[in-house]
Amino acid sequence: MKVIGIGGAGGKIAAKMDDSAILVNVSRIELEKVEGGGERIIAPVQSTLGQFRGSRKDPEIGHDAYLTIRRRLQDIVVGGMVFSSTGGGTGNGITTGILQGISSIDDELGNQGSTIPVQDRTFFCLILPYDGMESAEYVNNSIDFMTGPLADVIDKGCTGNIVLFSNKMKFTEKIAEEQYNEMIVNSLKVFMAIPDKNENMKLLESHIDHEDFTAFIAKPFFNHFNYFDYDPSKSFGNQLKANSNPLLLDAEEPIEAMFLLEVPSGQDHTIFYDIVKYFVDCKIPPVYSVVENPDLSKPFVTVSRLYSRKPYELLDDFNKKNLELADAKVQKSLEQHVVLEKLEVNFDKEAKRAGKQKGVGDDVLATLKRIGKL
Amino acid sequence: MARINDDSVDLFKDQLGRLGESHFLILYWCAQGEDKGIKYNITNCFDDLKHVGITRTKQTAVSMIEALWSLCFIDIREERNRKNIYITKHGARALQQLVVMGGFSVKSSSFLEGNQA
Repeated sequence: MKVIGIGGAGGKIAAKMDDSAILVNVSRIELEKVEGGGERIIAPVQSTLGQFRGSRKDPEIGHDAYLTIRRRLQDIVVGGMVFSSTGGGTGNGITTGILQGISSIDDELGNQGSTIPVQDRTFFCLILPYDGMESAEYVNNSIDFMTGPLADVIDKGCTGNIVLFSNKMKFTEKIAEEQYNEMIVNSLKVFMAIPDKNENMKLLESHIDHEDFTAFIAKPFFNHFNYFDYDPSKSFGNQLKANSNPLLLDAEEPIEAMFLLEVPSGQDHTIFYDIVKYFVDCKIPPVYSVVENPDLSKPFVTVSRLYSRKPYELLDDFNKKNLELADAKVQKSLEQHVVLEKLEVNFDKEAKRAGKQKGVGDDVLATLKRIGKL
Repeated sequence: MARINDDSVDLFKDQLGRLGESHFLILYWCAQGEDKGIKYNITNCFDDLKHVGITRTKQTAVSMIEALWSLCFIDIREERNRKNIYITKHGARALQQLVVMGGFSVKSSSFLEGNQA
């Protein structure tokens, strides 16, 4: 899978993730600062100032820069993994352009939400700012990004998984940026290693091959993955909750799940049934596999849960302005179509009178009169 | 002429009979938006329908809006790259009838309430 890093933060993480990562920035100086990584692409902007100093937290500059390399970038991100921050000008602006490009490809293909082939879906790793400790511009840029272009592609269902890393732990635990980036990369590598472990270790139950894994990460939902030593004598649900990935935003109620259980040699592997039962009880039969890992002394489980929420609700951690909106939870349903209740039409005067007795009805009629439509 | 009027009333009744809760809410929300001086567009409408649990897909929301447009109950105007929805006089009469018949209850629009706050 190609790895692409957009902007300062995205570039640094992508370079740690993959030595051949493609790094994109508006500033040559910023690009040269990044250690590691492969090809570097400069997105030229009109302003000379922008070339040297980056986008200065202005997504408009990033977006203008995107337009100059649009065709090239749109080809590169097909089937790739994109790292970007949502707060900075370059990451936000260029990633906005990429999302709009994906959305327009989907429109051209018929706007059916599932028309972009599985292997061509882009996997996004977005780094969110931490409110209160980071600039208000970063927070506002993130709000605009998540309620705008990101919301649009989620509605259309034309991306792959979206992983939402939060800078919260970095600030609360006072972790150096390089170390934090390392933690993000190491965490992601554990998740991405699932198909390779299936290929290289002795399979005990079921199987997650590269095709299964690609299909899972091609789903247009938010991905919360975590991993921990599994103690079969204790409740799996409690362990899952206690070992939530601190680098990611907390998971909402999942709608799909996958897990890989690694058990030490010679240990009873049927403990996986408890994990399957947990997910079945949550009404999400999981994709799973069990392998033997001779290097382990305790069972180790890697879990991924896919969930879907309105983007602005995801900003709950730091979006104080939209707090009221954020409180409203989206009703999640796997049903794509809702049966509309049949309206019994009745022009009877008694019905009219009864309807008018409702204060709400009077309000609606008053509204219609105020706007001059009645 | 009388015949035409009778037919028109019958047609209007039949049209009302085919409206569901989603159509009722769309008419209500766009009237409410106009009353508050807030532009109410297709994306806002989709967000609200998703929020109240009626649909999870934009295509379904758009098809509901298009149905109301086909019945001349709403106008859709492209303004500043947004497709804003406005209730027509026919739509207002339809909403009036739906209200007095009491078939559906009003649900609040997150978008309009958020803007109000």
